[in-house]
Order: sequence, then C-alpha cells, then structure tokens
Amino acid sequence: MDIILNQYYLQIVIFVLVNAILGVSIYMTLSTGQLSLGNAGFMSIGAYTCAILTVKAGFPVYLAIPIGGAAASFISLIIGYPALRLTGIYLAIATLGFGEVVRVIILNLKITNGALGISGIPTLGTKISKMLSSFGLSRFGGLTAQQTSNLLVLVVLIFILAFLVFFCTRLNRSRVGRAFASIKADESAAEAMGINTTYYKLLAFALGAFIAGMAGGLSAHLTFFIGPKDFAYHRTVEILSFAVLGGSDLIIGPIVGALLLTMLPELLRSASEYRLMIYGALMVIMMAFRPQGLISEETVRFWKRKLGRRIKQ
Amino acid sequence: MFWQQLVNGLTLGSTYSLVALGYTLIMGVLNIINMAHGEVFMFGAFVGLFLVNYLKVNIFVAMAGAMVASALLGILLEMLALRPLRRRAVSDLAPLISTIGVSIFLENLALKIFGPQSQAFPAGALSGVQLQLGPIRITLVQIVILGISFGLMFVLRFWLSKTRVGKAIRTTAESIETANLLGINTNKIILLTVALASALGGIAGVLVGLSINAVEPTMGLSMGLKGLAVLILGGMGNITGAMLGGLILGIAEVFTVAYGASSYRDAVAFGIIILILFIRPQGLFGKRQGGRF
Repeated sequence: MDIILNQYYLQIVIFVLVNAILGVSIYMTLSTGQLSLGNAGFMSIGAYTCAILTVKAGFPVYLAIPIGGAAASFISLIIGYPALRLTGIYLAIATLGFGEVVRVIILNLKITNGALGISGIPTLGTKISKMLSSFGLSRFGGLTAQQTSNLLVLVVLIFILAFLVFFCTRLNRSRVGRAFASIKADESAAEAMGINTTYYKLLAFALGAFIAGMAGGLSAHLTFFIGPKDFAYHRTVEILSFAVLGGSDLIIGPIVGALLLTMLPELLRSASEYRLMIYGALMVIMMAFRPQGLISEETVRFWKRKLGRRIKQ
Repeated sequence: MFWQQLVNGLTLGSTYSLVALGYTLIMGVLNIINMAHGEVFMFGAFVGLFLVNYLKVNIFVAMAGAMVASALLGILLEMLALRPLRRRAVSDLAPLISTIGVSIFLENLALKIFGPQSQAFPAGALSGVQLQLGPIRITLVQIVILGISFGLMFVLRFWLSKTRVGKAIRTTAESIETANLLGINTNKIILLTVALASALGGIAGVLVGLSINAVEPTMGLSMGLKGLAVLILGGMGNITGAMLGGLILGIAEVFTVAYGASSYRDAVAFGIIILILFIRPQGLFGKRQGGRF
C-alpha cells in the first residue's frame, strides 16, 4: 500500500491527469480540423484569473476554476471570430501570436506580479482536506494527511477527466458532433450542406479554450506558484504533441499521448534533459509515417475484430 | 526625432521583410507555412557568429557563409520534413505540425549547444561609424542592413520575373501538377525555393544579430512570429506585400517604442494580425483568390 501511495507516484499520476485534460482541450479544436497554438495562452488566462480570484479576492476554488475557464473561453471568441472565418492556417498564426502576447501582457501587468509570478496559491489538496475535516472526516485509516489530500486531488481530477470523456463521446453522437466531423472531413462540402462552419469551428475552439483555462486553474492550485514562464510556447508544443502521438480521431488518443509523454521523462531519466527535442523529432516522424497518430478509428476497429474473433473461438 | 525614428523603423522593417520573404516564397510554391523558418533565421545568426568569432573571417564573408549554411539546412528540412508528406495525401495541418516539430527541435538543440545566454559579435565586426545626414544619425550597421536587404529584395524580384528559373518557380506556384506537365522538374524547383527562402532567413539572422548585437537560441520564435504577421499583413504568398508589410511593421514597432508603450513592442505584430483579419483578411496587397507572385 505504501508503494502505491508513494508521494512521488501520486504526484506523477496527478501530472498525467492534468496533461490528459489539456490533451482533451486540443482534441476539441482538432475535432473540427483546426489547429490552435494558443492552448498555453488560454491555460495562463485560466490560471491567472483563478489564482487572482482565490488569493486576492478570496473566492472559493470550486467557483474560481470554472470562472477561469470562462475567461479563457471569452477571450478565445475575440481571437477566434476573425481567424476562423478563414482557413485553418490563419487560426494557427493568430493563436501563436496570441500566446506570445498573453505572455508579454502578464509580464507587464501589476496584478499578475510581472516576472515574479503569483505565489502562495492555496493548494487544492489542503483546501479539500480542510473542507472534509470541517465535516469531521480528517483521516482515513492509517493514511498521512499528505497522502489523504493527494488522493482526494486524484479523485477530483479523475472525476473531471471522466466527465470530459463522457461529454465528448456524447457530443460526438449529437448534431454538433456530426457537424464537427463533417467540417474536419471537408470544410467546403460541409458548408455546401448548409452547416454554419464558422459557428461550429468557433464553438469547438471556445470549448477547447474553456477546458484549457480550467486545466490552467487546476494546475495553479496544484503547484501553488505560477509565473509567465510556465505557459510559454513550449507548453503549447507539448500539448500538441500529446494529440500528435496519440492521435486526434478519438478522444482516447490525446489521453494516451499525455500518459506516454508524461511518463517518458520519469521512466527514462536521460530523456528528461532532451524532452523537447524528443517531442520535436516525434512530431516530424509521426507526420511522415503515421499522421493519424497511434490510435485511429481503424486501429480500434482492427482490435475489436481481432479480440471479438478470439472470444468466439 | 521623427525622421530618425523613420530610419530606425525602415532598418528594422527591412529585416522583417527578408524573413517574411522566406515565408512568402514557401507559401507561394508549396502552399504551406514553414513554422521552422524562425529557427533557420536563428541558425543563420549562429553560423555568422561562429565564422566571425572563431574563424576570424570578414563580416561579409560570414554573411555569405550563413546564407550557404542556412540554404543547406533548408534543403535538409525539405527532404526530411516536407517531402515525405507530399508523397501521400495528408491533411493541411500535417506540414504545419511537422515544421513545428523541426522548429522546437532546432531551438532546443541550439540551447543545448550554445546555452541560453545571448552572445555578441566582436566589437570590430562592423566599426561603429556614424554618419550625420541633416537631422538623421545613421550607423554603418544600419547602412549595411538597408543596403543588403533592399539589394536582395530587388535582385529577387528581378530574378523571379525575368529569368528562366524564376519563371519555373512562378509556374510551380500556380500549380504543381501543371508545372509537371510542362516539363518542369518540380521537385528540384521546390528544393531550390526552400533553399532560397532559408538563405534569406539566414542572412537576416546575421543582420539582426549585428544590429541588436545579441544572438540567442530563442530569437527565432519572436522573429518567426513577426514574419508571420507580415505574411498576413501583406497577403499570403504576395512578394510585394511581404516587402512593404515588413517595412510597415518595423516602422509601427519603432514608433510604438518611441511614443510610449515600449514594453508592448512585441504585441504590435499580434495587434496587426487581428486587425487585418477583421478588416481585410486577404492582406493589404492580396487579391481574394489566386494571383501569386
């Protein structure tokens, strides 16, 4: 039990989950065939909004995190509307520029504390433990306070991720999801079928920004410090590589990508030093040999058929 | 004051134009955005720096060396990251992602090799001579930058419109299939275009490194972003647009710094992108459809 509840392992699992949520955020935009390079920017808007609300205005965390997501989503509409009326390349450029501008603004504003960042953010774990102890549940048999709080955070994150997966699978079977898929397959054909492509692309983009903003708020409350450097362009590339490795056809793709790429530096110590170089090389190789990512709809169909036959025998 | 800032803006803008021309050439011929162009620019700056610092060559020789080395890097980029994607039908995003991969790889490779600190050209690379022309003070570095970038731009313009190879490039830009049918070796033309674009990026790297006297691995990202802003400002794949757009952005940035918000200088490019997308998405000099170069 002690090995499973090791502080270090719990921490890694928490990072995997946050990255998986970020993977879902880029999946959302990619599901209409658009590439957003502003996920780190939206994450930072979510993180700073959330941190400022809890540290300076005394908001409760469970309220501040969705507000952070909503702020990111609102800004995404301003960027997305002019860029998404055009083809995909414009969104990539506009969001790339946006990420840099957010960084410049955060560096210069007073409320974000410039380059020093915001520290002393209450962590999610202590908040939840406090809430529970007010109900008289301070300890679960034999666990230290630290373990309890980490486990609780884990449960919350798993719950959020499960909800997102549920939401996305339901969405894919709805009218909106089918509109997304048709835009991804062929934008002109979708438009000819009477689908308002700008509206649906904007919707997917804003949803992605909302999830990224929430993930930003969560990560601010997991690390108790945020600075402008945490959300640089590299973070976007990292998020993008989850979707590139895992595949962006199905929601499970970016989640698996996040799992593999977050575990990689932990398993291979020497890999952590060359992490970003590996991501870069991975992107080139994947695009050349398997642009649909590790898991595509075909992969799932193949394994279903193969496993199904074995069960029949 | 005004004229002085105008000269500074033109100098800065002419380097933006050079970088944007690289984007435009590749955009025009291959219809993709080379996200690694900023890192090619950074690579050129480091090659120039290496040649001047360690091999003690003349600065102009170093510029030529940087152009050649960047062109070779461009050829490598085309062979490894772009050609494999052209062989099979993939989505529009694939080359974008692939070149993002190259850019992040090159940036971190440079960080590993050279370290994060910025390095400077030695003091004697181009002596700090200043000329006084009426109200304007212009340094030798500025004259060299203006001369080389405008010279290169006009040579490129002439070369594309008058020579046989230039015509082949323009044909390929119209349609790769048609150019193939007309007996043009389009693979060769594409290779040449990417090499040319990268050479322009490389020499821009040396020029910018000289003018701000700092060469660092992260210089590619911000310059790449400005090149992209110029690309949108001037119109995708429009050469005149890239030249004039670069000058406009440079002047806009210098005036932003001179008249107030100096810390928001890097936000100007983004402001221009959003503004242009709202009011004139085809760019200042672009036509709505087709008509490249």
